Amino acid sequence: MSKYNILIIDDEKIVCDMMKLSLEQEEGYEVESFLNGAAALERLKEKKFDMVVTDFKMKGIDGLEVLRTVKQLYPKTAVIMITAFANLDVAIEALREDVHDFFPKPIKIKDLKESIRKALP
Amino acid sequence: MTPSDNTSSIIKTLGDSTTKWLRNRFAKKRPLDEIYRYFKKVLESNNHALELITDMGQKLDGSYIFDINYIKRIYPELADTLRTSIDLFNRLTRDNYAIEPAFAHIDSLISEVIYGEGTAGDDSILFLDDVQWFRAREVGGKSFHLSELKNNLRLNIPDTFVLTTRAYDEFLQYNQLQEILQPAPGDEGQEPDAKAVQDAIMAGSFPPHLEEQLDKILQTMRARHGSKATLAVRSSAEEEDDLFSFAGQFETILNVPIAKQDVIWACKKVYASLFNSNALAYQKRLDYAFGGLRMAIGCVLQIDPAVSGVIYTANPVSGNVDEILINATWGLGTSVVDGTIEVDNYVVERGNSLQIRESKVGSKEYMNILDSAQPGRIREIPTPDDKKNLPCLSPTFVLELAAKASDIEKYFRTPQDIEWALDADGSIFLLQSRPLKIVSPQVKADLPHYTQTTDSAHRPFLFKKPGIVVQKGIAAGNVYVLHRIDELNGFPKGAILVAHSDSPHFIRIMPFVAAIITDTGSVTSHMASVCREFGIPTIVNTGDATKILQHGGEITLAADESGEITIVNGLDNSILKSKQQHIRKMEELYEYRRQKYILRHIAPLNLVNPLADEFTPAKCRTLHDILRFIHEKSVQELIAISQHGLFGKPSLLRLDIDVPAGIHVLDIGGGLAAKTKSPLTADDIASLPFKALLKGMTWKGAWNTQAVALNVKDFMGSVGRFSVLASGASGCAENNIAVISKEYINLHMSLGYHFNLVDSYCSEKAANNHIYFRFVGGATDIVKRSRRIKLIDKILVEFGFNINIKGDLLIARLSHVAQEEIIETLTMVGRLIAYARQMDAVLRDENDVELYTKRFLEGNFEFLE
Repeated sequence: MSKYNILIIDDEKIVCDMMKLSLEQEEGYEVESFLNGAAALERLKEKKFDMVVTDFKMKGIDGLEVLRTVKQLYPKTAVIMITAFANLDVAIEALREDVHDFFPKPIKIKDLKESIRKALP
Repeated sequence: MTPSDNTSSIIKTLGDSTTKWLRNRFAKKRPLDEIYRYFKKVLESNNHALELITDMGQKLDGSYIFDINYIKRIYPELADTLRTSIDLFNRLTRDNYAIEPAFAHIDSLISEVIYGEGTAGDDSILFLDDVQWFRAREVGGKSFHLSELKNNLRLNIPDTFVLTTRAYDEFLQYNQLQEILQPAPGDEGQEPDAKAVQDAIMAGSFPPHLEEQLDKILQTMRARHGSKATLAVRSSAEEEDDLFSFAGQFETILNVPIAKQDVIWACKKVYASLFNSNALAYQKRLDYAFGGLRMAIGCVLQIDPAVSGVIYTANPVSGNVDEILINATWGLGTSVVDGTIEVDNYVVERGNSLQIRESKVGSKEYMNILDSAQPGRIREIPTPDDKKNLPCLSPTFVLELAAKASDIEKYFRTPQDIEWALDADGSIFLLQSRPLKIVSPQVKADLPHYTQTTDSAHRPFLFKKPGIVVQKGIAAGNVYVLHRIDELNGFPKGAILVAHSDSPHFIRIMPFVAAIITDTGSVTSHMASVCREFGIPTIVNTGDATKILQHGGEITLAADESGEITIVNGLDNSILKSKQQHIRKMEELYEYRRQKYILRHIAPLNLVNPLADEFTPAKCRTLHDILRFIHEKSVQELIAISQHGLFGKPSLLRLDIDVPAGIHVLDIGGGLAAKTKSPLTADDIASLPFKALLKGMTWKGAWNTQAVALNVKDFMGSVGRFSVLASGASGCAENNIAVISKEYINLHMSLGYHFNLVDSYCSEKAANNHIYFRFVGGATDIVKRSRRIKLIDKILVEFGFNINIKGDLLIARLSHVAQEEIIETLTMVGRLIAYARQMDAVLRDENDVELYTKRFLEGNFEFLE
């Protein structure tokens, strides 16, 4: 069986790095990460991912826009939204757009992994 | 005797400095309830700060994904809480301690990490003697460790000055080198040409002001050591010799003349070595961007060594921390480090004393020496025949080196890799000390195991309580059940400590302990923070681990962040191998390390011993140290000042209980049931700790009513000694004072010729709670009084107290335990106060000490005929 692909988008390098390390080396997923939404959307047009984990607040294209684009291109790809703070309005908006899960930072790695496992086919 | 007579006699016994201080307090007449209110607020604020520190420790330990926003959000809250603690503490102590400057300094260091606001020193070059702890990053790991050895351990380090990372920045800026460290436009994915960077560095010049500073320092060096002296110019990069060693990655130039242009050339060589291909690969592995690592340089007076070598304070392969390995060769140590010749090997074993177990003399075909004809060069020459097979070191030197190495390891709290040299006069110099990486120990076959989790559905537990995982991790070793703090001296390396309660004293064994399990304790205790800082797997609050785990037995332990605890009999290979990878890899992420660096100014606890001279605001290096200082001094303040209430509040109420304890009560808030008047009965007491104490004192049979005969010698001896302590010698005290609140008791009680002091805080928050018990004096001679002290000591140790004894004075402390345990323990202390009352006259010999200790613990309080 081929490995699941996961796309990570966050403008904080430390978040991308820690997530990539946890998911790639410990869980065996194939992970690509981007520091901005625009570059990530370009990549999404080229390649289908099994899962997208995106930050909400980013300069330029934000997490909601990423979510909408993913759902438009690949309706079955699950999206996890992360934010700097617990923000109810964002959570509700994301839920409307069929987000799989929603995490305020700091994120417990164990919880994130569990959420990803549940979402993958 | 009036209350004031009694108090003045108390004051006399407390010594001159305390007397002066108390008089000062009396003169100002502060209401005790106000002081108590401040004390409670200090505890609450400290507790909140410790909770925030705990939260930061958890979030930054590699099991959470975080970013700088988290730190920017939580740190201001922590800083504000510290400010509140300090403000309250100053009110409580009337500005008796200058704690603000210590906080302001640490706060500025943390702000520097978070916001990049520069606060470090202005010097670009400084002598090792002037390197203070907060300049660690600027002088680089290697130089910082040397400064610690020199300034704190007073070890023999060659005269050294350091060019800080600021000097490196200034050099780059002056030569406009930052530009070539960036990729060219359009080449963002490409790294700049490392060779071109190195060439540009070698072609660069020192900025004039830096050259001027260097010139002055070199003049001083020449004046001190003569114009023929030379320097070893050594790399000291920011993180070098820290979490990662960078061993052998950067240049070291030996035998450099103390002349400006020679030193500048050598420094540029060291700067350029940052861009050697191996060094770049190493930096990349640690997630450094090209040019991201900054270099400081240590210019160390060159020793012309007769013998040099390396010490490992543990066996890095077998993991045996009882072995100290020493290598030695003639001349310079370069051949020891590069392994090109067969050198001498010594193995020293650490037991009760250091002993040489093995001495293997190497052939030492060649040796390296300084080239006196060509400064800046070293020469390899054949070792003279008469020296080849001769041991380089006498047994005395081997043991001296081992002893120094042990001290260094103890100081840094982790096994060390140390470079040393012996000059022609026989003086030992330390040239470098860095953490030694040790391979995990060998493991045996799988054995049955027992798992428990915090989830109550998984009952039955191995232990009485589910336990709290303070620090996740995996460890294996022999169980060492600790009964008293001084048994830490015999703690075997690599063992698992099992103790009744946690203690900051455990910091002493941090380099050697595999894991810690305690019966009681909380996640916010000082020890818990220390365990997180050192990453030592730690479980607290198991209820009865000291009874369940067998002393000396071998176990494997795994504790994870979800609270799941696995304990396996024996060494379990599968567990040990399973989860170890995570943290190491996270630490290879530069941003992770950079942001986690903030914890170094927050979480570690350096101020451990309140009795030490170093227990001062000036020695606080972290916010945790400040909290510890505030807590300890607040408790001391309250203990001492409680007596002040006698003057400020005349409303003392006599307490009538079943035993003649002669207690008067002063309530400062919620300590009594409503509408009570003198005389009080036990039912009128609402103070939780006082109720518990009284329950013990009036325990059936504990307060012995039999007359115990004192001989004339005993009696005469006591009169002389205690005329100041208790002017009435009736043996039945009348004026003992209990200052109480709902959660607090301070009881000064003289009973006959001895003196009890109990101070306890007993709230719902374990982190705030303590029992302080002091016992001094007696009517009998010192031998008999000491026996009683021994008996009290043995009993209190059973209940987890930390104890200090000086002659017939015993001071016992217990802290950070849950309310129910404080109550239970105070009841025991009450029984003990009653039981020990005449015990000095009863104990005829050491066997009696054992016998009556046993009887007390069994609940049998009768005296034998």
